[in-house]
Amino acid sequence: MQLFAFLIDGLLIGFVYGIAAMGMTLIWGVMNVINLAHGPIIALGCFGVYLLATQLGLHPYLALLIVAPLGLVAGMLFYRLAIQRVIDAPRLSSLLATFAINMIVIGLGTAAFSTNPRALDVQLGSLSFGPVTILGTRLVAALASIATAAGLYWFLYHTRPGKYVRAVTNNRAAAELVGIPSQQVLALSFGLGCMLAAVSGALIATFFPFTILSGDVYQQKSFVIGVMGGLGHPLGALLGGLILGMMEGLLPAFLPTTWVPVFEFVLFVIILLVRPAGLFGGKK
Amino acid sequence: MKILEVQDLHSGYGEVRILWGVTLALQEAHLTALVGSNGSGKTTLLRTIMGQVRPEQGVVKFMGADVSAMPPYSKAAQGLILVPEGRQLFTDMSVAENLEMGATPARARSHLARNLERVYELFPRLKERRSQKAGTLSGGEQQMLAVARGVMAEPRVLMIDELSLGLSPALTLTLFKTLTRLKETGMTILLVEQNVQMALAISDYAYVLAQGRIDLEGPSRELIQNGQVRAAYLA
Repeated sequence: MQLFAFLIDGLLIGFVYGIAAMGMTLIWGVMNVINLAHGPIIALGCFGVYLLATQLGLHPYLALLIVAPLGLVAGMLFYRLAIQRVIDAPRLSSLLATFAINMIVIGLGTAAFSTNPRALDVQLGSLSFGPVTILGTRLVAALASIATAAGLYWFLYHTRPGKYVRAVTNNRAAAELVGIPSQQVLALSFGLGCMLAAVSGALIATFFPFTILSGDVYQQKSFVIGVMGGLGHPLGALLGGLILGMMEGLLPAFLPTTWVPVFEFVLFVIILLVRPAGLFGGKK
Repeated sequence: MKILEVQDLHSGYGEVRILWGVTLALQEAHLTALVGSNGSGKTTLLRTIMGQVRPEQGVVKFMGADVSAMPPYSKAAQGLILVPEGRQLFTDMSVAENLEMGATPARARSHLARNLERVYELFPRLKERRSQKAGTLSGGEQQMLAVARGVMAEPRVLMIDELSLGLSPALTLTLFKTLTRLKETGMTILLVEQNVQMALAISDYAYVLAQGRIDLEGPSRELIQNGQVRAAYLA
């Protein structure tokens, strides 16, 4: 029964990991860019909620609604400033461009906030089902993640800009030929990916302490999850997030917690060797 | 009226120059054919007109304005539409979504429903398959969809690269008839075609491209009689 409780806990956090990974995999799918700035943007999502809550007294969940569009705008700005000029260059260039954003955000963030851990005190109580206790914050985070994923799918499949994102993902040259301004769509897509990162960071801040450096851990998880789900496959990322979340929930019952990343990355290597397109299909 | 004019166009890829001073013009509401052997530069010419390849020299004028430096999506927005070689469909999207994407230019978007009806009438097969992914269509159906997606833009000029490539003679005939119908609605069409006989039979005017230059031009019915064309392409 104790195991079941760990499993549920892991699953709930897995949804949040899934959202972060969806952002990374969306960007990869649309423009073949591995976003090494993903982690710092997750951290900025944490700090965004933290600052709005502590400085302006907003409720963290209300702050989340402000952080999400800020993430979108920041992502579009990053694209215009750093990525657009190297989007057609060899892939290493965009990797370095996003790495530069990573270093700049972490450098500025460290100067502004130091690396002392911060934490928000969000009390939502808990639900108990027999021996299983679910923390309110984690349940809300999971529900918010599901809503975000559903919103993304609705956007991609039922709105014109969303369909443009899919068209550019599918065939950028053809998109230009039908009149879609592909650079604007790429900027929007990068913005969406960063928005998902910021939302996941904002949710993480409601139950884990964080520093400006915390994002890198979630970035690595996003990468593992993205590959597991099939890069460029947002729903696969969500499912991959659940798998990783379950592992994190269950493994500490048998092993010291420090072993968890070892297993995660061993899994990562195995998937790359055995099913490089991911468990749920996706772009090769 | 000349709706599209190309003057002394030079273009190519990096060090390799493909076009060496091409000049041509499309009369509004005419069907113009561009023929020539493999490697003569037909596709490069279309790509340069569209802006996918930057001209090294020369001018592309669309409705009287110099559009040589304009990116492809702006040209498409103004009604200059290319149905590219190899179809270039959105293979992961449905047939209906491909057609919807075709109607991206603002002028076509407001008539989406009407135009959709029109292309489904031209290509009933696409209506049957509208919720299927474009990538699962047969080669012929994909070519229909590529043309239909172009028509959805309400093009002022529709340029089609290799309409009949890989299609059965029956389907080729159907598509040629469709082009004739589109021309009758006032659409200007530039058809690049390997099937020279058919291209000359349905077009009003034709250009023969050879080694990156216009070798010969004239009203299609005269070119059909031309000994040089007959020897090179219709033998």
